[in-house]
Amino acid sequence: MTITETSDGSITIVALCGTIDSSTAPELHKSPAIADTLRSVVIDLEKVDFLDSSGLGALVGTLRLKQEAKAAVLLSCMNPRVRKVFDITGTVKLFHIFDDTSAAVEYAATHNEG
Amino acid sequence: MKSVITLALPCDIRFTRLASQMAANTASLLASTCNADTGNWEFSHAFELAISEAFSNAVFYSTEKTASQKVTITFTLEQHRLMATIRDTNEPFSIETPEPSIENYPERGYGLMLIRTVMDTVSYIRENGENIITMSKQL
Repeated sequence: MTITETSDGSITIVALCGTIDSSTAPELHKSPAIADTLRSVVIDLEKVDFLDSSGLGALVGTLRLKQEAKAAVLLSCMNPRVRKVFDITGTVKLFHIFDDTSAAVEYAATHNEG
Repeated sequence: MKSVITLALPCDIRFTRLASQMAANTASLLASTCNADTGNWEFSHAFELAISEAFSNAVFYSTEKTASQKVTITFTLEQHRLMATIRDTNEPFSIETPEPSIENYPERGYGLMLIRTVMDTVSYIRENGENIITMSKQL
């Protein structure tokens, strides 16, 4: 998995690429924007080809920590294979999910999160 | 015609993707040999996901963590059905685990829920010191 961070105002876009499973999910916490619980992030999943429950758990854990610090985690651009994991587990209800990253950034800016 | 493919992998988290990709490719192969809709990603994704979960669990709960400990995955292709069996020598366990409470933001506990949902059948037996999970899905 590769992680690319881009700042857009007060929001950081964290673009993930590759597979997020039990062998790669711990890498997510190496991202400075993810590790900084005070920082709101949009996590762009467009280039994630596969995600299992370990990847999902890492995202849920990130969401919990940031929400406790009053920061936001928004998800964007998930393909149907990734979306299915959220749908089956019901975790789709925990996240704000957007079809495109710019809409997620706009939402975060509008809601003054982070 | 019945075809059997067996993969014995070290009980090591680094091999998770190899196991799940093998599952996806095997499912795609079955779909193509049955002249089924090979554009149907859900069949291959179901095995990719289920094997990723089962293999990860086998590694997570392994007690020895030695290179010699193996997780064995067998794919059996028969007519329009693919069956996957995953074996390990860990302690016995139950697959009848409660589903996680989403409102508590759990980071673990989704794996068996995913397996049960994407597969048609899932069973577990303990035999000769091995945990054996068998799952199958019809094309």
